[in-house]
Amino acid sequence: MKSNIVKGRTWVFGDDVDTDLIYHNKYLAITDPKEMPQYAFEYYPGKEHFAREVKEGDVVVAGKNFGCGSSREHAVYCLKEGGIPVVLAESFARIYYRNAVNNGYPVLVVPGVSSKFSDGDDIEINLETGEVINLTTGEKMHGDAVTDLEKDIMSHGGLIEYLKAQAARKN
Amino acid sequence: MGKTSIEKIIARASGRDVKPGDRVWCNIDISSARDFAGPNCCLQFDQVTEGKGKVWDPDKVAFTFDLQAPAHAEKVANNQKIIREFAKRQGIKKVFDINWGIGQHVMLENGVVKPGHVVLGTDSHMNLLGGAGIFATGVGNTDIVASWILGKLWFRVPETLKITVKGQFQKGVCMRDFLTHLVGELRADGLLYKAAEFYGPVIENSSLAERITLCSMVTEMSGKIALIQPNGEVLDWLVERGGEEVRASVESMKADPDAGYCEELEFDVTELEPLVSAPHAPDNVKTVREVAGTKLDQVHIGSCSNGRFEDIAAAFEILKAAEFKIAPHVRCIITPTTREVMTQCAKAGFIEKFLEAGIVFTNPTCSLCTAEHYGVVPSDDVAMSTTNRNFLGKVGKGSSTFLASPMTAMASAVRGEITDPRDILR
Repeated sequence: MKSNIVKGRTWVFGDDVDTDLIYHNKYLAITDPKEMPQYAFEYYPGKEHFAREVKEGDVVVAGKNFGCGSSREHAVYCLKEGGIPVVLAESFARIYYRNAVNNGYPVLVVPGVSSKFSDGDDIEINLETGEVINLTTGEKMHGDAVTDLEKDIMSHGGLIEYLKAQAARKN
Repeated sequence: MGKTSIEKIIARASGRDVKPGDRVWCNIDISSARDFAGPNCCLQFDQVTEGKGKVWDPDKVAFTFDLQAPAHAEKVANNQKIIREFAKRQGIKKVFDINWGIGQHVMLENGVVKPGHVVLGTDSHMNLLGGAGIFATGVGNTDIVASWILGKLWFRVPETLKITVKGQFQKGVCMRDFLTHLVGELRADGLLYKAAEFYGPVIENSSLAERITLCSMVTEMSGKIALIQPNGEVLDWLVERGGEEVRASVESMKADPDAGYCEELEFDVTELEPLVSAPHAPDNVKTVREVAGTKLDQVHIGSCSNGRFEDIAAAFEILKAAEFKIAPHVRCIITPTTREVMTQCAKAGFIEKFLEAGIVFTNPTCSLCTAEHYGVVPSDDVAMSTTNRNFLGKVGKGSSTFLASPMTAMASAVRGEITDPRDILR
């Protein structure tokens, strides 16, 4: 695993960001995850420019129920493959959370986070401890990283890698 | 403390006693994928297993073609072919190609999925199968690939709400209106990480179509599943499709009288009136009266939520009461869930009447829930639909959608503006 400290710039989204806003159904026929980032947030009002302007290491910050809607894993790939190191939200929709865990993609639940950041703030996140700092305002907050089996899966880098490790242990 | 139905199903599938919050590995009864994400699953499975892998049990894997059926673009056609060739290579026989209809419904009608089963699919509305007592959940391609390798998948045992529904629907009001009410009450994240079980006289006396409608929008409350214990005619139908053993499965998943629910809610539908989910969220609930008169450009009746025979029959009754005429400016499209439902509509004489009224009657498909296949709504148009999501831009950038019952949708197609079905039925 890479460093547990992530530093970047924030893109802030609201509550109930659904999977059509993250990655629209128009592009579901795409099977190569590397082709997906160019369509991220294309349908999100006011963030249509996200894919063009996002920089490697930028962080997505959202309100409640991020990723509600479809089961499409594209909605995880388009951010992961696009170089977004972590998504912070006040809560995640169930399937999105699961897809993130299964891909070893860090997601952090941080109460009240969407109101504590503006677009373009500098952020520092400790993925291990869950400490989050808004470097622009100086405000500090605490997030909950995954626990239990999900943590185990994440630490292997995803579900497939976890299963391979389990299988290797048995042999 | 006793166990809920959901806990009993998970206990059976995982081979251990369970309580909410436990992480368990469940044996999977059916792991399915559709023409969307299915190709991703096949490609990922081959990549992970270096092209040499065999699925754990070809009889427990199924494919359905519904999202873009028949294929409308070369990329989609080629994706569908990836599935057909994978199935052939793996000896998977349960392939329901473009001529069958919406996956969950097709698998239910054909006895592939049965009460008490644990079922996976690449469709976030898999959980509508809870209406038939099936623990089904929508997952991404990585979960499907893992299940094809292992025959198992990890679950967090959910906390379960008990929802009791009493009273009697008034004329012009139906289960969809109750569902809309429920989504408005619990909100978009009201069931986050949770499950629900429905009880009470309204549920016990409901048809399979109504149960499916009710369970189809748990995802719109971010829930895992809503389950209904099969009984009466619904149970007989499920036995007819799934075999005699269904009775024993249903008996063994009955919740204990002292089952532990995280919350108990009770609703009475008697005073309920026709409702809509206004743009752009399912939980943006208003009465039809509040938005009546809003001019509509397109009306769609169908989808996995409200496209069964009973739903189309309810719309037919409204059209009949309006002497089989719709507003000339409205594009009205009806989509049955499956080929079986389409055949029922043909035998009942519905299709001829719909066509005469200028309504488009399509093949069974999920197409009208996307902006990629047919039925896309142009910018600034206002639509009404019996589907389950009206997210911003979902069926066309710049369009708006009101979600409603089949009766409200047809009444609104008749007048060309949002209309309370009771105004037509009276």
